[in-house]
Parts: sequence; structure tokens; C-alpha cells
Amino acid sequence: MYVSMAASCYIDVTTGSWEHRAVITDVSLMRETYLRAMRSAASGEPLFATRISDYHTTLGWERTGGKSVDSSRTTMPDPQLSPVTASSDPRALRAARLGSARSELAEAAGRGEGGRQAMRQYSHRMDALIQQLFAEAGVVAQPVAVFALGGYGRRELCLYSDIDILILFSKSIDADAERFLHAFLNPLWDLGLTVGHHVREVREGERLESDNPEFLLALTDSRPIVGDATLLDAFFAYADTARTATRTLDALKTLIAERHARFNDTLYQLEPDVKESPGGLRDLFGAQTIALLTDPALLAQGGSGARALADAEEFLLRVRSVLHLDAKRPHDVLRHEAQERVAECLGYQGTSARQQVERFMGDYFRHARVIDRSLQWALRAAPAPVGPNLVRAADGIRFVDSRQAADHPETWLALFQAAIDSSCSVSDETLAVIEQNAGRHSHDAFLPTAEHRLALLRFFQPRPGLYERLSEMHDARLLGQLLPEFKAIDCRVVRDFYHKYTVDEHTLLTVRNIERLLEASPERQRFQRLLSEVDRPELLVLSLLYHDVGKGRESDDHAAESDRMTAKMCDRLRLDDESRAIVRFLVGEHLKMSVVAFRRDTEDPEIVRQFAALVGTEERLKMLCLLTLADVEAVSRETLTPWKEELLWRLYVDTYNHLTVAYGDEVIDSTQASQAEVVAGRPEDLPGAEVEAFLQGLPRRYLQLFTHRAIYAHVRASRHLEPGSIRTWLERKDSEWELTVITHDQPFLFSNFSGVLSLYGMDILRGYAFTKPDGLIVDSFRFSDLERFLELNQGGEAQIIKKLEEVVVGAVDVAARLKGREEGALTRRLPGFAPVIHTDNDSSPRYTIVEIVAENALGLLYRVSRAMSESGCDVDLVLISTEGRRAIDVFHLTRDGNKLSATQVTDVTASLQRVLEGRS
Amino acid sequence: MKLIKSIVRPNKVDEVKSALEKLHISGMTVTEVRGHGKQKGHTAIYRGQEYNVSLLPKMEIEVVVQDSIADDAIKAIIEAARTGEIGDGRVFVIPVGESYRIRTGEKEV
Repeated sequence: MYVSMAASCYIDVTTGSWEHRAVITDVSLMRETYLRAMRSAASGEPLFATRISDYHTTLGWERTGGKSVDSSRTTMPDPQLSPVTASSDPRALRAARLGSARSELAEAAGRGEGGRQAMRQYSHRMDALIQQLFAEAGVVAQPVAVFALGGYGRRELCLYSDIDILILFSKSIDADAERFLHAFLNPLWDLGLTVGHHVREVREGERLESDNPEFLLALTDSRPIVGDATLLDAFFAYADTARTATRTLDALKTLIAERHARFNDTLYQLEPDVKESPGGLRDLFGAQTIALLTDPALLAQGGSGARALADAEEFLLRVRSVLHLDAKRPHDVLRHEAQERVAECLGYQGTSARQQVERFMGDYFRHARVIDRSLQWALRAAPAPVGPNLVRAADGIRFVDSRQAADHPETWLALFQAAIDSSCSVSDETLAVIEQNAGRHSHDAFLPTAEHRLALLRFFQPRPGLYERLSEMHDARLLGQLLPEFKAIDCRVVRDFYHKYTVDEHTLLTVRNIERLLEASPERQRFQRLLSEVDRPELLVLSLLYHDVGKGRESDDHAAESDRMTAKMCDRLRLDDESRAIVRFLVGEHLKMSVVAFRRDTEDPEIVRQFAALVGTEERLKMLCLLTLADVEAVSRETLTPWKEELLWRLYVDTYNHLTVAYGDEVIDSTQASQAEVVAGRPEDLPGAEVEAFLQGLPRRYLQLFTHRAIYAHVRASRHLEPGSIRTWLERKDSEWELTVITHDQPFLFSNFSGVLSLYGMDILRGYAFTKPDGLIVDSFRFSDLERFLELNQGGEAQIIKKLEEVVVGAVDVAARLKGREEGALTRRLPGFAPVIHTDNDSSPRYTIVEIVAENALGLLYRVSRAMSESGCDVDLVLISTEGRRAIDVFHLTRDGNKLSATQVTDVTASLQRVLEGRS
Repeated sequence: MKLIKSIVRPNKVDEVKSALEKLHISGMTVTEVRGHGKQKGHTAIYRGQEYNVSLLPKMEIEVVVQDSIADDAIKAIIEAARTGEIGDGRVFVIPVGESYRIRTGEKEV
């Protein structure tokens, strides 16, 4: 005859031997088999169902395969359970079972043996009772499980202890679930048990950290009794383990402090409360909970040690059993009268009762001191949780469970990230664990999902401590697993007169140099500012890590070799096209800037022009400049002299100016390779001639700024465009938006477009405006939606587009609309820096250049471009960028097709001055 | 003997070195220096702000030669370092009284 209980095993009721079968989660099947068992029990066969809970722990509720274990196949006869009468009234049956379990424990307590073993036995019977009630409560339509918490979870139930349980539902608690709850709990209450029941659904794990602290504490000792035990894993999966653990610990510490205060912070009470006094059971459980949440080995490493603690626990439990027995209720205070009784029960010898008591109490205080010392140790020495399976100890970040972590390499990066976040190092022990296990896993195991790959990129953000952590990772062989190409340069020696370090160390030192820029000395301020302006500094660090990997192979051109290996890495990390292009550019051209700066004549404009053409955009220029700085400085301490820094900076400035100013004069023509590329890669519906005609006359920079996909979209949008009509669209780009406008040129057009964006509260961050010789406009604005207009309004996009269309037709007076908004913005102007207006009528043969650097404000772009249009200028090209609080806008102006005359320049400057000072 | 001190563009150092080596002048001293000539450098504009570059980076090359080949050396330096643009540099000639080799202590005149 078999009884299947709580889902994982069958028990032969006659012989008590057991076997593991398949996991059963169908409650009705359980109930079926249980009732069959009960019927046969009624005919006189003994039940061995009480062994079930034990089997749970032996088999484990983990999904490690359910191998049938082991040696604990002892049968345990159940002498207390007499054969059940034929009437088998369920209530009476249950009461009888509870009664017999209690008498068993009571008897043991009376003999002074009411310690762990007897309590375990009692807990088993309680488990069986709960399983029975669960089965009888009926079928419920969703998975559900019951877990023991707190003392019950620890299997330390005293005669009159509370039963703390958690009933966890998979989905929301509906009428059916409520019915089940009542059917399950009512009988428990009927039996006179004090049940602390917590009911949750799995999703509530999300809010676990803000849950009731008493519940959180009880939850640390959870144990499955019946039902689908995997629900608890699912519940925890929703929670933020580190924060929950921290909150639990904080709550525990507060509770301990409060409780100790009630007892005047001394354990030497004449009539101690075995549970609540300092040195009592609650203190013991507190210490154990701290260890559970932070470091399982904590209590063995200090305080009184594991053995003494176990002895103390056994002693106190036995005492408590006697107290409950005598009082017939949950009573934990050792009054003087009770002390005599307990001393007697526990078998203390002595010529008088008084002597017995003194010896007994002497032992009590000894044990209480043991517990107190261990608790103080735990409070002092416990490491702080900083992440799933991660704690911060005195010697750095550690795994809580090293063995588990060793099998999960995808969690190792989080360890180092936590170290950077907490500004501390990684413990030596943990590094050893990683080093020992790194080689066991294949590369794919380290970055299995997109999230992990993103986490790796985020890890490369330049921050204090990055170099140290990367060094640790490299020494522990982790870096070579995350970035396999890096293995190629491990301790690589390259015979080179200049380089002072092995290739791998040189590479890591370049990262350190970037890190040091964050806290730069005054001489390095200008480079530090570049670093703060770079959009994606993590790509810079990634490029630095790869810039010399090519030196691992025998090859003349290590830059090309590095580029090849970088391409492989980009594939493996599944970088998007833009990131890929940046990284490959930086690695492939990492020597270029130092060659040009130190070995070419940078005062020759042609040299600058060529270099600018290679670099293409200011963003890439900044990154290359920083990369060069870091690289040169990592060759040896003396290589980067202030003199060389000056050369590098000058090249940066000259190139930057060329990119932002001279681009207007460098026009696309059919001989260019990049143009040919765009034409060649076009989709089928676009004739080559059309693409060429579109590109004709646009600055070359246009090809650098837009992807091919965007260019083809522009070409299509410009087809059959009537004057007065507009093609425009909005695209979401991460946390920002991009507006593209294609139309025919008109006076005030650019200022009106920026005005419309300001009307909706948009903060324009970046943008480009191009005017073709035939009058076609291509404008692109990158902005952030400060007032969340687009987020909160379904039809927001359509509204903006409509407004732009009206502007082109002339149906909107943007100036009037903006007036109210502007006034607010102007009066709110913070004392910032004085705006700078710089005009340059010499650098370009075709355009007058006006560069404005001002405090970023709503409507700034609108106002200045409007002022220019009002002065009679045509705004042909605009380059908009924002760095922190500063707006940096470069305008290429003409008037009637020519550069402005000197007087015209003065006029427009004056009017811009007025606008920027708020006087107009 | 003459000390020929030349201040040239940084990217011209290799050419000047080769030119001098052709004349079998092997000993030289090279220093990274900054300075300007008559034009007082130039003003660059970065982000609309003037940023004065009056001290331009240059390289100083010093050689000490016998009077007989001094003129050839000067000519070689000038030809190698010239670009024709402002900022090409200068050559100074200073008479040298004595020269001693440290390793042996011998004097050269």
C-alpha cells in the first residue's frame, strides 16, 4: 500500500520503506491516494507517513535531478498511533493524532529530553497533519504550496509553540483559492493550534523588500511541507535579494536592540525568559539568521564556535519544553518555582533543591553567555549583502556560497561590478575560486544572454577602480574568458625599444590612464573635458582593450591584426552597427593621431584636412584623441611629455575646427569613394542616378553623419516634393527622439522648426541642417522630451508633425506662440557664463561662419537663428551640439548667395548680442 | 669649432638627422622646446574662445663641428628643415673654445 504525500515520494505503508517516484503536483491524485491510505489504516495497518518531511530534505526540493538518495531508509515505527477506529470521523482522527504527538513530546520533555530530536519528531507529525488537511481541503485550480516558517521551519516546535506557515499561490487569490484556504485553515484552528498564517501570491515577491519585517525574518527559515515547492523559487525570483536581505538584517538588528533594552541589556536575569532574554533562544536564532543571510560559515569562524552554540541550543530547548509542559501553555519564563522543577527534570544532582537549582542556573548562564558572544560576533563581523549571492566583507566582495557560484560563471562579472559600485576590492579567496574554476567553462557560459552582454559593456564605463578590477579579472583568468582575444596577449613580450611593459599590462595601463583623467590635474583639464563630452566612453575602454591584441600574433601590421580580432569580438558581443563602426575605427586607426601629431607638419592645412577626412566627426575625433593620450602615456612614464601633449592638443583643435567650419566647403562629388558606396548599396527602388543627384552639392560630412539607411530614406522623401509641402517623421532613439525634415528652403524656416520644438518643451541636444544648391533642405534634430509630451500624449507625434506642416505653409506665427514660454525662460536664467559669439569671415571662401557658445536654454536656437534671418542672412548650414549646460552652435551664413560684408557681420553680431543678453 | 643650434619643426627632425649623418656628423643633442619667432605664434579659436598659442612646440638640434665643415652643416640643416612657410625655424652659430671627451679625458680643439 502506498501513500504519496507532498509530491515526491511513495511510501510503503506496511514496511515503511520508501522510493522516489516522479514529482506529482496534482493535488487530486494526492488526495486520492491519501484517502486510500486512510481507509486501509482504518483496517489496522500502521502509517509511516511521518517520514515524509525527512524524505523531502534528503531528496531535496532542488531540481538537481531527483536521484534517489541514500541511507536514511530506516523505518521508524510509530508506537503512539493506535489503529484507528472504524468510525473514522476526520475531526476526531486529527485531534487524536495531535494529542498523541503531543503526549509523545510531553513524555520526552518530562524526562528532560525535550530537545532537538523530540522536537523534530513532533514537527514531522505536524507536517503529516498539515499534509492531510491540505489533501482534504479539496482541489484548487492553480498550483499552491504550504511552507513552514520560523521555528516550525527549523523543526523546533515546542508543545505550545505557534505554527508559522506560508501559503503561496501561483496566481491571484480568487474565490476558489479562498474556499481552499478556509477549508485548509479551519480544521487547524479547530484543533486549538495557534497558526500564524501568511498568504501570498508569487507575483508579490516583487514587493518583498517592503513587506512586513517579521514575515521576512520568518521566511529565512522556510521549508516546504506540501504542494508545488518550486513556487517559492519563483517567488524569490521576483525579489531584489540584496535589498531584501539588507532590510531583513536591519529589521533584525533593530528588534534585537529593542528586546535587549527591555531586559536592561543584561543576560543575568534572576528569572530569565528563555526565549526573549539576552542570551536566550531569540538571540540564538538571530545569530543564525545573520549567518544564513550573509555567510553560512560565520558562526563557526568566531564567537563561541559551532559546537558550543549547538550545545547551548539543545540545553535551552530542553528547558523550554519542560516550561511548556508545566504551564500547559506557551510560557517561557524561568520563575523560581519553575527552576526547581526544571532542574529536577533535567536530572541535576544535589543534596538540596537549592543546590540543584544553583547548578542548573549556573549552566543556564554559561549557555546564555555562549549565545550572547556568538550574537555579538555575528553583529560585528557579518558581511553586508550587496547582490545575489554576494556580500561585502572586511577583505572585499565575496560569494556567499562559493560552490554554487563556481558552477555559474555568468554571475562572476556581477561580483566585480559590485566591487566597483562599493569602491572596494574583491577578496583573495574569491579570486582563487574564480581562478580555479575559470577554465572549466566554455566561453559561451560567461555571457549567455543579451543582458549579460550589455552588463559587460556597462562594466567598461570609466570609473575609479576599473583598472584594479580589470587587473584582478585578468590575473584570475576571467578576462580571457570574457574576451577570448585578450588571452593572446597574456604576458606577451614584444621586443620593442620603447615599450616598457608586457602587452597585456600596457593595455590595462591605458585603461588606468583614462580612469585617472577623471580626477585630472589642472594641466589635463582640457582632456578631462573631452572625456566628459564623449557619448559612450565604454566603447573607448573596449577599444583600448583591443587596440594591441594583434601583437599576440606574429605580424608586421599589428593594427590590422587587432582590427580582425576586434571584428570577431563585435560579432560575439552582438554590438549594434554604430558601436561596431566606432570600435573598429578606433582600433584600426589607433596609431594615426600620434603619427600625424608628432611626425607630420600639423601647421600644414592639407595635413589637417586629410586627418579630418579620416576622422569624420567630432565624436570620433575626441575618442581618438583620448585613446592616443592613454596609449602614449602607457608606453612608459617618460613618453608623454607636456610638449607632446601640446602637439596632440593642437592637432585636436585644428581638426575640430576644420570639421565644424570647413565642412561647408567640402562638397560631395562623383569621384568620392564613400559616395560610390552609398550608390552601390542602394535598394532596388532607387535608381543610381537619383541617389547621385540627391547627394550632389551636399557637404561630404553628410555621408559621415547618416547611416545608409537614413540616406535612402532622405532620397525617397525628397521625391516629387512640392514647394510648400514637407516630409517629416519622428523616430525614437533610446531615451531621445530624432526629427527629420525634408522640404524646400524658405526664409525663417530653420528658426521656425526649432521654434516648434521649443513650443512643445523639447530640449534640442544635437542637430544638423543642410541646404542643397537647388534649395532642398535636409534637417535632423536630436532632442529629449523634457516635459514628457510624447510619452503622455498618444497623438503627440501627429500634433508636432501637423504643426511643422502649418509652419511651412505659413499658417503659424511661431513667434507669438513662443512669447509666453520665452519670457519665462529668460527671466529664469541662472547666472551662468557670458555667451560667446565668434564670427569668422576668412576660413571659408563661400560662407561666413558664426559660432555661438551659450548657456543652454529653451528657445535659444530659435532666437538666435531668427535674429540671423531677421538681419537678412540665409542660414545654409547649421551644426548644433550640447555639452552639459553649454550649447555650441555653428552657423554657415550667406546673404544673396555670398559671404557677408564686414558691416553686415557687425550688424548681425550686434543683434545676436542683444538676443543673448535678453535685451531683445 | 662651432656649436650649431637649430630650432626646427618637430616633423623635420628625421630629415635633419639624415642630412647631418651624410656629412659624417654623428654627435648631436635633441631637445623638445617651445617658442616663437617674429610672428608670436597664432591665435587659435576653440569653441568660440581664443586660445593663444604663442609658445609653439619645436625641436632644438645642437651639433658641434669643426670650422671647416660648419658651413656645409648649416646649409644641410637649412635645406632639410625648410618648408617655405612661416615657422620654419632658425639656425644659430656659436664659437666653441674647447671640447673634452669625458670617457678618456682628451681634449679636442
